[in-house]
Amino acid sequence: MKELSVNHLLGIKYITKEDIQLIFETADHFKEVINRPIKKVPSLRDITIANLFFENSTRTRLSFELAEKRLSADVINFSAASSSVKKGETLIDTVNNILSMKVDMVVMRHPNPGAGVFLSKHINSSIINAGDGAHEHPTQALLDCFSIREKLGKVAGKKVVIVGDILHSRVALSNIFALQKLGAKVKVCGPKTLIPKYIEKLGVEVEGNLIKALEWCDVANMLRVQNERMDISYFPTTREYAQQFGLTKKILDSLNKEIVVMHPGPINRGVEITSDVADSKQAIILDQVQNGVAIRMAVIYLLASKIKHHED
Amino acid sequence: MKILLKSATIVDPTSKHHLKKRDVLIEKGIIKKIATAISETSANTISLKNLHISQGWFDSSVSFGEPGYEERETLENGLRVAAKSGFTAVAVNANTNPVTDSKSDIKFLKSKIHNSPVDLYPTGALTTGSQGVDLAELYDMQNEGAVSFYDYQKPITNANLLKIALQYVQNFNGLVQSFPLEVSVAKNGMVNEEVNGTKLGLKGIPALSEELQIARDLYLLEYTGGRLHIPTISTAASVQLIKEAKKKGLQVTCSVCINHLYLTDDVLESFDTDYKVLPPLRTEKDRRALLKGLKDGIIDGVTSDHNPIDVEHKRTEFDHALFGSIGLESCFGALLKVTDLEAAINSLTRLKSTFGVVSSSIAEGAPANLSLFNPDVEWIFTEESILSTSKNTALKNQTMKGNVYGIINNNQLVINE
Repeated sequence: MKELSVNHLLGIKYITKEDIQLIFETADHFKEVINRPIKKVPSLRDITIANLFFENSTRTRLSFELAEKRLSADVINFSAASSSVKKGETLIDTVNNILSMKVDMVVMRHPNPGAGVFLSKHINSSIINAGDGAHEHPTQALLDCFSIREKLGKVAGKKVVIVGDILHSRVALSNIFALQKLGAKVKVCGPKTLIPKYIEKLGVEVEGNLIKALEWCDVANMLRVQNERMDISYFPTTREYAQQFGLTKKILDSLNKEIVVMHPGPINRGVEITSDVADSKQAIILDQVQNGVAIRMAVIYLLASKIKHHED
Repeated sequence: MKILLKSATIVDPTSKHHLKKRDVLIEKGIIKKIATAISETSANTISLKNLHISQGWFDSSVSFGEPGYEERETLENGLRVAAKSGFTAVAVNANTNPVTDSKSDIKFLKSKIHNSPVDLYPTGALTTGSQGVDLAELYDMQNEGAVSFYDYQKPITNANLLKIALQYVQNFNGLVQSFPLEVSVAKNGMVNEEVNGTKLGLKGIPALSEELQIARDLYLLEYTGGRLHIPTISTAASVQLIKEAKKKGLQVTCSVCINHLYLTDDVLESFDTDYKVLPPLRTEKDRRALLKGLKDGIIDGVTSDHNPIDVEHKRTEFDHALFGSIGLESCFGALLKVTDLEAAINSLTRLKSTFGVVSSSIAEGAPANLSLFNPDVEWIFTEESILSTSKNTALKNQTMKGNVYGIINNNQLVINE
């Protein structure tokens, strides 16, 4: 059986193109499973997974939990925004305490970049990064690429523009890495204040004009404006942001082709995209959500099978 | 005490024995005789492989934690590390708790160093509590032995405060240090703003933030006159700014940290907090410009910027880790990897005059203030090589060139076993 090249999923930059393809093939199978009347498989009956959320999350946590339950894993949840830090406990101690209760795998969201990488050096368990600060959100990128593959047949050769706050976005970074590994061309678009100064060195182009970016692309991934991550104001008002970078139905219809519209959620309707765009047939936002469960099942399944392999 | 150094190659351009192999007899802390062959049976004879000696080295920026952070390092062990690393003099930063900002704090430091082979030169805080608001009692501290005034790694945000400080110390020829970081631009940054930091999602400290502050400080210096030292510059444009200021005749000096001569931000890949240093590690272009600046004499000296941090403040998420790396133990070995021997010795001794540290040529009748080393041996700097209480080194597992044997100073001999 094919297996992943890694023991953790810490970021897209740490995995290979073959890993991504294996995850996709596995997710194809699980997508079929979750559309059956009985949506559950017994694959991971002997595996216990801890979902550690040191930062608020609703959809990612639910998606992971659902993925774990559909694989019949035992699940424990821990959500506390930086509570361990407040009480003075270190991240390693917090996680080791939970692991000593015989947990096989950790899904972690954390506000600090590199928290997963750091933890992987100090604990003896498989880790899935569910978002670490502005670093990576690998399962989001995987589900985004999986959704493009589903909608357009393949990712290679497709042109994808990521619009919005690139500076604070782990989704953007993971997407750039994943899309490039799969052979897509990537542009980023947004106010210059929210584009990292050296982003072009990652092999992406910067486009300051939304219409031009949209005319170029096959897929537009409209990121959420992350006000909570901004320590200062990077643009005057969301109204003005929307004037320049908000996707409206009018713009969408003015393009000479039908592009695919994506959004990692949660949507600020009327800011990044208007309601009629979000609800249009070109938007695959809800497909992304459904694919999220299948992708996470695939990742968990593949990492768990490495643990089992190891134990045998 | 009589010490006889056998077959020591003297590296001291100010000495007539420069690059000559000599026997050196030292008696009661004074160089008694330098000759091709000396025999003195009553002396402690030191005969070491490929022994070289130079004027004692000086480090203008070390932190020893005491008082307040003894878990990071104590003065006693810090000075032992300095001696074993070849330094005969260190300027100790004011980043203690409480901050060294008064005459009695300076007195405390002086009281702790009784009989040390290493001379300790206190750096007083520029402002009370290093808060950046009110000037500390600078004159009083200088009278007690402070050699410069510096709020360690805390940028002076108020331009008028620096203006006043530069003017005020002129009456007693004081030396002000200003850390090169414009905080509103650097805000919450962790690493160099470049592609490596971008890949890791870590907040960037643009080179601009350093250059902006240096440009401001040099403008102020031009207005006020007086002496300004800019510690630990890290970018190519900073070298250029200082070059131009020196050309104008401003009394500005600057240093570079050894880590910035040896490493670039390429090492950040794995979020290793030992590489979290301030200023951040920059690019290869900057590293090369710093080396050239040193060679051309625009940068006045190299510091280890020795800053021990306990494991609790390093073995944590990158965002939460404190900035800093130890450096004394690896300073010489790393420096010889990037410069030649004479340049290395020059950059470890040249700042003595800026900080009022006594120095003298290697000559008969002069005080024996010497660093002892073998410049030719290569070795790997591992955790076992660390003598400091804290182990946070940015240079771990790096190749070093040149092995320190020890020092002779204050009529004492320190030799590494």
